[in-house]
Amino acid sequence: MAGNEGFLDVGGAEKSFAGHRVLNGVDIKIARGEFVSLLGPSGCGKTTLLRIVSGLMSPDQGRVKLDGKDITNTPPHLRDVGVVFQNYALFPHLSVAENVRFGLRARKVPKDQHKATIDKFLGLVHMSAFADRPVRGLSGGQQQRVAVARALAVAPKLMLLDEPFSALDRKLRENMQIELKGLLRSLGITTVLVTHDQEEALVMSDRVAVMSRGTIEQFATPLDIYHKPTTGFVLEFVGHSTRIAGTAGPAEGDVLAVDTAFGRIFVQAGYTRGSAVTLAVRPERIALGAPPQGDAVNYIDAEVKEIIFQGSRIHVLLAGPNGASAMVETSALPPGLGVGTQTTLWWRLDDTLIYPAEAQAA
Amino acid sequence: MTTKLRFDPVLLLALPAAIYMVIVFAIPVVVLVARGFMDAGGFTLSNYVNFLSEPFNWVVIGNTLRVAFWTTVVCLILGYPTAVALARSKGAVQVAMLIAIILPLSVGVVVKTFAWQIVLRRDGIVAALLVATGVWDEPKLLLFTEHGLVMGAANVFLPFMILPIYSVLKLADPNLQDAAATLGAPPLFRFFNVALPLAMPGIVGGVSIVFSLATSMYVIPSLLIGDRFQTLSTLTGRAFLLMRNEALGATTATILLFLAVAIVACSALLSRGKGDSR
Repeated sequence: MAGNEGFLDVGGAEKSFAGHRVLNGVDIKIARGEFVSLLGPSGCGKTTLLRIVSGLMSPDQGRVKLDGKDITNTPPHLRDVGVVFQNYALFPHLSVAENVRFGLRARKVPKDQHKATIDKFLGLVHMSAFADRPVRGLSGGQQQRVAVARALAVAPKLMLLDEPFSALDRKLRENMQIELKGLLRSLGITTVLVTHDQEEALVMSDRVAVMSRGTIEQFATPLDIYHKPTTGFVLEFVGHSTRIAGTAGPAEGDVLAVDTAFGRIFVQAGYTRGSAVTLAVRPERIALGAPPQGDAVNYIDAEVKEIIFQGSRIHVLLAGPNGASAMVETSALPPGLGVGTQTTLWWRLDDTLIYPAEAQAA
Repeated sequence: MTTKLRFDPVLLLALPAAIYMVIVFAIPVVVLVARGFMDAGGFTLSNYVNFLSEPFNWVVIGNTLRVAFWTTVVCLILGYPTAVALARSKGAVQVAMLIAIILPLSVGVVVKTFAWQIVLRRDGIVAALLVATGVWDEPKLLLFTEHGLVMGAANVFLPFMILPIYSVLKLADPNLQDAAATLGAPPLFRFFNVALPLAMPGIVGGVSIVFSLATSMYVIPSLLIGDRFQTLSTLTGRAFLLMRNEALGATTATILLFLAVAIVACSALLSRGKGDSR
């Protein structure tokens, strides 16, 4: 990301509705040209944050800066912030081309430039053939294309996408995600996507901000969000994991021994001896079978409870002593493995994540 | 257009109402209209020629259209914002508003007249308000004036303006206003390019209902302004009830009918013009 870290700079944003605090002092800085997702469950405040950035809602506290200018009190029509709404919000009384023209008319763009601009952006979203159609008859995917063209046509500094793919079926959604990401990147537009779909956030974003209860839990690259979740909430919300409860035991250097139902498991961390912790491993980081010699690995014994075939991947559910359970994701089953057989699981020490036990309650 | 017309048995559900309307409405109207084109010698246009060549009758037509026009304007100015508020309100507030709008319909015009007589008096609240705000220099009588008539008529017809607009607005996507704002549209631009076009089917509906009702109102002008101000309706009533002049009554009634049908046809055309907003 070419410098300019605070192109969009939200500081201390707070918002309450009827005494219920929806945003709890959110700070986020987004670089010029970056694609950022706000990811979280419904009610986490992501849509409220988006509306505050767009100017459709004003924060109780805090400020919003865009391109060095404080726009906290700027009304939405003077902000240069484009929005693609969840239901696309196309004007039903206007044709496809007139929908795109709307912003040009509103901003008093000279009339002689309208046609070229409309043609350009309808072309970019492959909707030129539909220019004179009413928007009523369009499919969900086509409506989304028009909504994107309409928002882009006024050359916004910032593009906000509010759950734009949730109304599309899976196949179309995946195609549109790739296409839209490519289009926005090629135009170099700074974009914020609001979504509850982790896959969408991981696929599309340069960075993901995982939100929960009105705060940002972690703001990092998709890779770090997935492999190095910093809080139990992020771990639980993004992807699957095998979680094992335990108690911190003796430490040796920076390696901590944790006592669990599966026996001792080692992790690189510093915790007070005796404190309750939760260990976690991503299921595709766990291997079945005998561990290699010499490497720093953890291994445990468990019984296969269930094998779930999901096409390209296979999930294996396992049970340990005292009701402990684990999940492994693999692409091929070792020979001889079946429900009821005993097996050994192992994973690298670096892949072991650890959180305070209570944080996992989210 | 290429599909063949096939009979849908569900249409039979409208049959009882259709038969009823033919007997109590269509046949009498045909008889009435026919009466206006007849005299002892058969078909004639003389009733219309006579009626329209009398300058006083043009005053009557003018009265009818003018009062109906201003009544519609007042209803639209008061009704549109109310419909917007109603569409945006929720829960108990919306129910309370709907009751406040519909309940007055259950109060008879005769009862309301007593209220109007108090309100529209020289020392009534409207006159007091107009003097207080400096619009009038001294209190005047509003009762038995055209202004008073428009006020009273608008009071009765206001729900017929609010409800059609409300029914259209409540279906409109609230995100459209937000979308327009983020595209750079200032409030006035949003009003004229989003809010108004979307409300137009409701406005056309409300205007045509109120205008038709206001051209054909009989009791309200009779009670609020009296005999010296004639409209087509009151003249039709006089022709039949006082003058026993069926030819005159049929003529004025037909002109009134023509006006009402013309209004409905015009508004249908207007909303057809906005065809793609269906």
